[in-house]
Amino acid sequence: MRWVFALVLALAAGVGALYGLSDGFTVLTAEAARRQDVAAHPRAIPTAQVLAGDGHSVDLRRDLRRDGRVAIVNFFYTRCLSLCLAQGSLTERLQQAISARGLQDRIRLISLSFDPRDHAPDLARYAVRMGADPAIWQFLSFAQPGQRDAALALFGITVVPAPLGEFEHNAAFHVVTPDGRLARVFDLDEPGLALEAAVSLSGQPLAAGTRPPDTMPPEARP
Amino acid sequence: MNTSMTDPSRDVGAGWRPGAPVWCTLALACLALALGLRVRLEALMSLHMLVQIPLLVGAGLFAEQGWHAARRARAAAPGARPAWSYNEYGVPGLLLVSLVGAGWMIPKALDDALTDWRVAAFKYLGLPVCGWLLRVSLRRANVVIKLFFLGNFCWMGAIVGMTYLDQPIRLCNAYLQDDQDWAGRGLIALAIVLPSCWLLAELKPVWRFLNR
Repeated sequence: MRWVFALVLALAAGVGALYGLSDGFTVLTAEAARRQDVAAHPRAIPTAQVLAGDGHSVDLRRDLRRDGRVAIVNFFYTRCLSLCLAQGSLTERLQQAISARGLQDRIRLISLSFDPRDHAPDLARYAVRMGADPAIWQFLSFAQPGQRDAALALFGITVVPAPLGEFEHNAAFHVVTPDGRLARVFDLDEPGLALEAAVSLSGQPLAAGTRPPDTMPPEARP
Repeated sequence: MNTSMTDPSRDVGAGWRPGAPVWCTLALACLALALGLRVRLEALMSLHMLVQIPLLVGAGLFAEQGWHAARRARAAAPGARPAWSYNEYGVPGLLLVSLVGAGWMIPKALDDALTDWRVAAFKYLGLPVCGWLLRVSLRRANVVIKLFFLGNFCWMGAIVGMTYLDQPIRLCNAYLQDDQDWAGRGLIALAIVLPSCWLLAELKPVWRFLNR
C-alpha cells in the first residue's frame, strides 16, 4: 500500500505545482494572468506626471478625475514600426466608433508613451499622423522615469529593449475609470469588448465632484 | 582529480566509475553556473528554459550521484534493498518530475520566475530537488518505465516547442518574439537529442529487453 500512498502524494504535489504555476489551471501566460487579475481586483493607478502634445504636464490621476470620462488607455512609443502602428489603427477605429455612437462625452482614448525620447513635438506629430481628434484621443508621455516605472508596473506592462532601438511590449486596451482605477484589460483583437466595457463603466454613477453623466442616450444621437 | 582511477579495490567488473568528488564537483559547477550567470541566462527565454533550468536539475542529479557513490564506497554489502522504498520502481518520483517539468514549459512560469519571489524560490530549490529525485528514480526504474516517462516528456516538449514556434504573438511578456522561436526550436531539438542519448546509454538493456 505504501507505493499507492507515494504515488498519490507525488501526483498531488505535481498537480499542485501545475495549479500554482497556472493560477489554478486558468492561465498559461503572464499576460492572461494580468487581465484576469485586473478584472477580479481593479487596481488604483499611482501618481504620475504626464506630458501632453501641447507641452504642458498634468498629473494623470487628477486629469482623469477632472475629465470625468472613462478612458481606454494603451501604451506605445512614437518610433515604433510594428505593433504600435497596428494598435494605433485599431485605436483610430475605436475613435470612429466613439464619435459615430456619440460617446465622446462619456469615453475617451489615451495613448501613453513609455519612451523617454518622446517629447511634446513627437507626440503632437504622432497625433496628426494617427488622425486623432484631440477632443477624443490624447497622446501623453511620462515626465519622470520613476513614476513611469511605477505606472508600468501597476498596469503590468513589460517593456523589453529590442534590436535597432525598438521595444517589444505587451499591448492591450486598458479601461480606466475616472476615479483612477484600472478596471479591465482587453486584447487588441477585442476593441469592441473594450468599448462595451467602457460604456457600461461610464454608466455607473460617478463620484462626487466629477462631471455629471450625459443625460442624452447615445442612441438618440446622429 | 580523482583517486578512484588508481584505486583497484573499487567497482571491479563495471569499468571505471567516477567517485563522489567528481560528481560533487559537477553538481557544484552546475549550481555555480546557474546562479553565477543568472542575469545573462535569464535575459533570454531560450537560455532560461534550456540552459539554466537543466543546470539546476543537473546540480541535483549530480549531487545525488555523488552521494550515492560515497554511500556505495562505505557500504560493503551490495544488493541490500534500499532503505527508502516508497519510491517503488521510481514511478512516484518520475511522475512528480514529469509534472514539474511540464510546469516549466508554461510561459507564465518563466515570466513569474523573474518577478515573483515564490516562483523564483520554487525554481532554485525545487529543480535541484527534482534532479535528485530523478536520479534516484531512474536507478529504480526499469527500461519500460524509463521509456514511458521519457517518451511522454519528449512528445510534450516537441509539442510545446512547435506551439512556441507557431505563435504569432509573444507568450512571455519579458522575452522577445525571436527568442521565443529559439526556445521552441530548442525544445524540439531536446525532444530528439534526449531520447537518442538515452538510447545510446541504455543500448544494452534495451537490446536485452527486445530480445527477450
